[in-house]
Amino acid sequence: MTTQTMVQAIARTLDQEMGRDDSVIVLGEDVGKRGGVFLATEKLFDKYGPDRVIDTPLSEAAIIGAALGMAVNGLRPVAEIQFADYVYPGFDQLVSQVAKLRYRSGGQFWAPLVVRMPAGGGVRGGHHHSQNPETHFVHTAGLKVVYPSTPADTAGLLRTAIRDDDPVVFLEPKRLYRVVKEPVPDDPQHSVPLGTSVTRQQGDDVVLVSYGGSMAETLRAAEALTQQGLSPHVIDMRSLMPWDSNAILEAVARIGRVVLVSEAPRSVGFMSEVSATITEELLDQLLAPPLRVTGFDTPYPYAQDREYLPSPNRILKAVQRVLDY
Amino acid sequence: MIRESQSFQSFTEEPIRLIGDAGEWLAPFELDLSTDQLVTMYRHMLLGRLADERLSRLQRQGKSTFVAPSGGHEGAQVGIAHAMRPGHDWLYPYYRDVALLLAFGLPPIEFIAQTMGTRADPNRGRQMPYHAGSRERNVFTIASPIASHIPAAVGTAISMKLKGSSQVTVVTFGDGATSEGDWHAGINFAGAQGAPVIFACQNNRYAISVDFSHQTGSENIAVKAHAYGMPGYYVDGMDVLASYYVTREAVQRARDGFGPALIEYLVYRYGGHSSADDDSRYRPRQEVAAWRKRDPIDRFRRFLEKRSLWDDKQEAAANAEFGEMLASAVRESEESGTVPLEWMFDDVYAELPEHLRRQRDELIG
Repeated sequence: MTTQTMVQAIARTLDQEMGRDDSVIVLGEDVGKRGGVFLATEKLFDKYGPDRVIDTPLSEAAIIGAALGMAVNGLRPVAEIQFADYVYPGFDQLVSQVAKLRYRSGGQFWAPLVVRMPAGGGVRGGHHHSQNPETHFVHTAGLKVVYPSTPADTAGLLRTAIRDDDPVVFLEPKRLYRVVKEPVPDDPQHSVPLGTSVTRQQGDDVVLVSYGGSMAETLRAAEALTQQGLSPHVIDMRSLMPWDSNAILEAVARIGRVVLVSEAPRSVGFMSEVSATITEELLDQLLAPPLRVTGFDTPYPYAQDREYLPSPNRILKAVQRVLDY
Repeated sequence: MIRESQSFQSFTEEPIRLIGDAGEWLAPFELDLSTDQLVTMYRHMLLGRLADERLSRLQRQGKSTFVAPSGGHEGAQVGIAHAMRPGHDWLYPYYRDVALLLAFGLPPIEFIAQTMGTRADPNRGRQMPYHAGSRERNVFTIASPIASHIPAAVGTAISMKLKGSSQVTVVTFGDGATSEGDWHAGINFAGAQGAPVIFACQNNRYAISVDFSHQTGSENIAVKAHAYGMPGYYVDGMDVLASYYVTREAVQRARDGFGPALIEYLVYRYGGHSSADDDSRYRPRQEVAAWRKRDPIDRFRRFLEKRSLWDDKQEAAANAEFGEMLASAVRESEESGTVPLEWMFDDVYAELPEHLRRQRDELIG
């Protein structure tokens, strides 16, 4: 075990995978000589050289599209989009080409690539350094979508994503990049399967579900509830497509009350899907409607950066509503 | 990084042309192609033209839902195909590449079955007509969004450079594609990396109805290569040998490690953009008629006849042979049957995920 931050876990996992498999390469803006603007690809260029760590022109369409072209010719590219907010110039490549390649070619071609992107707010970055675009990707058949919240999960999921033959959009909650340090397994085979959640806290009174950056506030809300003598059951989804509906439905069926937390904008945000699924499957077992605590339907603000995010207070208010129902 | 070609000048004012109107050889160099190669080129052009007509007929018969006419493009397309090494190089085609795909070795049954959406389609009936692809032959499956295949073509070429293979990637597209962001993103990356990729633009001067002067302020497509650090060639695409020789040289240059090139083939599209288009709304009949007089097949036939390499008897025999080949492909396609409903849920991912299994069961039970 090595105590690492999330960003260190990313860099080491990339190093381990590139050392294990010559076909794994990294490309993106500033990933080479600089080691990435967040240092997520630190030291890889010195170790593996410009043929495997490629500094690309400033073009997300070129980055993602070229990753696809490399992937069909035997490489396993890990592309970096510098901020999730900048994925849009490459969005067409992801949606029209990458996501649909296996399907439209009848399985003749496929895209074993990963697109990593720092996402989420709370970094005083405003509109274009704070977004959570995961819903767009989950809604696009053919893409897998992952959004971890801890260094160990990030390492394990990134490894799985790199070895997966399907394209994986790998969102990283950048406000948690260096905030948490925890032991990360040294084992270069340590992996976390996609589509699995993890229960952070066992409980009986209310289910709290979240993913990515909002896990931090959700866990703080859970702590406050515990101190009040209540027993929250906290699930970290980790994976959005596929997502672990079994674990969530099992917990909600048992407890009957659930609050879904995500910092992405409310309307048609990913928690809408979770809420609809819970309602379709568990109407008889529900003791209260599933409630969502989300970001607002505004562009991500600069001055109100903190207020935008689902705070522990807002989560606790929602918990109170489902308990009082 | 840029090495200019030895025989052909880049950025010429006039399109490079090797065969005259009467079929005479205009080039200052010796023709170095065998009779077999020359006759095969002609046969491929003829097959492309006949396939184009057959595909139109299929649509009128209700056996296909869509046509993208390619008549007029045969010179450029066959020239490109013959300048590559099928089975070794990669091809990233676009939806108007009929003669190109057939000349590249795609069996007619695969092309026709893809058009008809039957079981014999290696792409499993997933897309509308004119969207073929073949992993076996390194032909990237065509996608509708214009120019969206260009960054991927560049990525494949970069991977060839990284692997040190002797392969080259050729990516084709029309004049309209050169306005898309993906085109600029891709060609710029290729220039920066010195990737072995040839950008082959079949400029028929119309993107559906939008004519060239509304598409760009550039005097032609070839000059755009200046911006990306590579040579641009301006070629008469109605001349199969000009198309072949210029492409061959650019491909060899890329194979030798001297990087990418942009080639513009000036062609004409006799038909409308597609079966959904009425081109009389935007093109005068005299213009279409004038270009028909410069037909690439007629011109090359005159060239071959001058050298006694072709005659009416061979023409009739080839027409019959290809007619039967195409008819047989249509029959085989029909016999293979329609694609099963269940196939709708396969190949979204490597394995069928739980949520799709449930959706499938809901539909099919």
